[in-house]
Amino acid sequence: MSGRWWRIRPRTRRTELQLLVLVSVTLVVGAASLGATLRYQAALAADKTVGTLDLLPPDPRALAIYIGALFAVHAAFVLAGRRIDQVLMPAVGMLGGLGLLLMQRLPQSLVSQSFGDAVLGLGQLQLAWLLIALAVIAVLAVAVRSDAWLRTYKYTWAAAGIALLLLTFVFGSDVNGARLTLSIGPLSGQPSELLKVILVVFLAGYLSENRSLLADESTRIGPLRLPPIPYLAPMVAMWAIALGIVVVQRDLGAALLFFAVFLALLYVATGRPSYAVGGVILFVVGSWVLYNLFGHVQQRVDNWLDPFRNPLGSGFQTVQALYAFARGGILGVGLGAGLPTIGGRLPVPAVHTDYPLAALGEELGLIGLLAILGLYLVVVERGLRIAAAAHDDFRAILAAGLALVVAVQAFIIAAGNLKLIPLTGITLPLISYGGSSLLANALVIGLLLALSDPGVEPPPPPRPARRWLRRPGRRAARAGGVDAPAIGDAVLPGAGR
Amino acid sequence: MMGHTTRAPIGDNVLRTGLALVAAFAVLALGATWWQVVDAQRLSRAADNPAVIAVARRALRGPIVDRDGRWLARSSRDSNGEAVREYRDDTISPVVGYASRQFGTAGLERTYNAELLGLAGSDPFDGLLDKFGQGSQTPLGLRLTLDLRLQRAAVSGLGKDRGAVVMLDPTTGEILALASTPTYDASAIANPTTAAGTFEALRNDKSDPLLPRATLGRYVPGSVFKILTAIAGLNTGAITPQTRYPQQPAAEKNGLLVNGFRIKDGHHPQTGSTPLDLVGATEVSCNIWYALTGLAIGGGNLVDQASLLGFGAPIPFDLPTAVSQVTSGTGSAPGGFQDDVELASAAFGQGQTFVTPLQMALVASAVANDGVLMRPHLVSALTGDGPGTRAIDPQVWRRAISVTDARSIQTAMQAAVEGDLGRLFTSGAKVPGVPTAGKSGTAELGGTGEPHSWFIGFAPVENPKVAIAVLVEQGGRGGARAAPLAGSLLERYFQLYGQP
Repeated sequence: MSGRWWRIRPRTRRTELQLLVLVSVTLVVGAASLGATLRYQAALAADKTVGTLDLLPPDPRALAIYIGALFAVHAAFVLAGRRIDQVLMPAVGMLGGLGLLLMQRLPQSLVSQSFGDAVLGLGQLQLAWLLIALAVIAVLAVAVRSDAWLRTYKYTWAAAGIALLLLTFVFGSDVNGARLTLSIGPLSGQPSELLKVILVVFLAGYLSENRSLLADESTRIGPLRLPPIPYLAPMVAMWAIALGIVVVQRDLGAALLFFAVFLALLYVATGRPSYAVGGVILFVVGSWVLYNLFGHVQQRVDNWLDPFRNPLGSGFQTVQALYAFARGGILGVGLGAGLPTIGGRLPVPAVHTDYPLAALGEELGLIGLLAILGLYLVVVERGLRIAAAAHDDFRAILAAGLALVVAVQAFIIAAGNLKLIPLTGITLPLISYGGSSLLANALVIGLLLALSDPGVEPPPPPRPARRWLRRPGRRAARAGGVDAPAIGDAVLPGAGR
Repeated sequence: MMGHTTRAPIGDNVLRTGLALVAAFAVLALGATWWQVVDAQRLSRAADNPAVIAVARRALRGPIVDRDGRWLARSSRDSNGEAVREYRDDTISPVVGYASRQFGTAGLERTYNAELLGLAGSDPFDGLLDKFGQGSQTPLGLRLTLDLRLQRAAVSGLGKDRGAVVMLDPTTGEILALASTPTYDASAIANPTTAAGTFEALRNDKSDPLLPRATLGRYVPGSVFKILTAIAGLNTGAITPQTRYPQQPAAEKNGLLVNGFRIKDGHHPQTGSTPLDLVGATEVSCNIWYALTGLAIGGGNLVDQASLLGFGAPIPFDLPTAVSQVTSGTGSAPGGFQDDVELASAAFGQGQTFVTPLQMALVASAVANDGVLMRPHLVSALTGDGPGTRAIDPQVWRRAISVTDARSIQTAMQAAVEGDLGRLFTSGAKVPGVPTAGKSGTAELGGTGEPHSWFIGFAPVENPKVAIAVLVEQGGRGGARAAPLAGSLLERYFQLYGQP
């Protein structure tokens, strides 16, 4: 295998390079504006006058490292010589860069971690996570040349996901009333971020295998057409377990995300709107039950309906976020000119995790906000394009699911920030502070890039359809899936065709 | 790689899912547009918006001056660089209000908080250009229509009594004086060191100095309400200036029987047994004539006509206003009256009728201005050199009375002040050398307390310059307290602005 590296021909990637230059220029201009504004405001607070316009970014080294890393990833892609998507990485780099600028601009003491003598603040930590995320993207995009390891072990992945959640439930620590964080030694993370990727992999495997059955056969219950019960059961079970645990953990955002992605993928696989409609009805009923059972759900909903009723208490964050959006107006107040702190306190305490959109909406205005939403749509468009071009159902559903998981998460938190739906505490993908979130989204983007290579290893030969091999054949078919030439195929040169 | 699937293509489903996502993101864009453009101005000026609070600590609020440029409120920095707000005297407090770090804002300081702080980035589209210029944070000043000299005269005229005075130019709606007593020291509330003690004492004061009586006080009007009944009667055609009721002279002696209830009135010996017309009934303030007129108009019409003059809803104004009412509206008779007894009583200003002094001043003003009601206003210009400076021009609010009918009422009101019989009641309101019109009121409160003393009027009768409403809480008969005070204030006006 080592000998093959010599045979890889570098392939230039002009589009990606041009887009990266655009992204870099934008980030440098933004950082220069941020630096000038911060110095101006500091001088104003100290009653001094600012003589000359100083455009030095607040942390030029961090910015240089980040932009350097973007080009390093580009170089790796060029050297790998794969024909992977050229738009995805610059879009992701822009979102990550915006997040980095925001984190550099917020009070650095918001999050800090000490390593020996060195104390890293918010901006530096975010940079570190971004670099790791870019490394993950690069490694996945360059090295993954087969999806067999995902396709074959879907039940193993599902089991691992559930185990991860159970671990969190038992050993996790409570933060803000939700048990989301799992700590192992010095490392801590939010497993639900990883779980969303696992969920997509499992759903892709299961739905692609049972797609025609789910689409063609149905059980009628009154006016409702439901998927055939035996094929629905494992999926609903998986879903119920995940949802149950998520509800116990009080992670409403993740619950909403999982359910929305599940419904969307069910539609992608079957093309049946009635399943999605049934799911929405199920969701409404479930929400109503949750609302009546749980105080914290009620509080969220009440805050959503009328945050101004208690603007200094439970509605504080929502109201302050709306004020931030309003201050931004159409063009924004400018990077660094927003009001992140008042008298040393944050008006929106979770601005770096749950409310980055409010801060960006204030400083970049409606224009900037629309641009950010547009960048997410670019990511989705690339993902869905990869899905539509995929050679087989598994890959199509997997790619669609990975794109959806980013888009739906961005929608849920953005809609919560904008008071279109009740706020649920999840991160804004690729912008929010947080290692788990960045790494999970890096997994998503890396896998999407790998799948985008038209030369990715061909799917295993189609199995005989289930229709002819009812129960007795089922075991055989699955076994065939495991030791099919898939493993051996993995070493076939994808690019050598 | 060939034909390995016979299933339906998945691409269409992916496409539709993508379109659904685009639609969802379009909703996000609409939501952002709502908060950042449509609703942005309101949110950006909210008193608890941290940006507003932060600016309020630093910024020097804009100055407030009267119509001739006399300062009423001004800001300076103390030795620590903190902004200090200072007010000229107690007489303007019910109008200008206060701006306190601890207790928020009141009065014009509240209404124009954003402008005075320099936060009023006009509308979002003007704000677009503000960003590129200097001075988007320049506090604006207010030039009022108020005349400090008249305001002071009104407050000193009310003296130790509780009451209110409203003076305005009927042709423009410019408020010249808006007095309320007792008043308070707004500078002491604005000063952080004395604010708490001052505010606590004022809140516990039973005489309610913090209540701006001219705009938020609601009082039984008594006979000044008859002017509104006359307007309603003429507007609806229920009466003409010549209407006489044959039963009226007798009813003065025996009371007017309505639904078995006898409405009584003092007899006017001077008029003998002659039935009165509009002028005569207004001159002697005949309750029976107005009760009969009210019954002829009908409850529904009376309430509708009153709303034409501003009753039944807050008056659009620079300060918050209480709603004036003809009736509490809980009854089943037309207009919400309980029965004809209440209607007949309301027609001469008793019953469940409650009015603000500002509302009654507007009634006088509409009559004076030949039936056209101008929109009352206190601010004539936003001054300064930032964006958002502008003049606020007089605006017609609505025509409330036809010219002919307004002239008839003018004649009746002039008779009430200057007529042979009117003089007996209301001579104190007469400005020497200036034809004066008006109507006094003595609002019975039930029980043993002194009645509220009222006067509304205007001068000169032709080409009026000033309309007035005076209320003195429990000041006795209208002719005895309110009318002479109105007369002296009108006289002061003509001293200052010249005889016509």
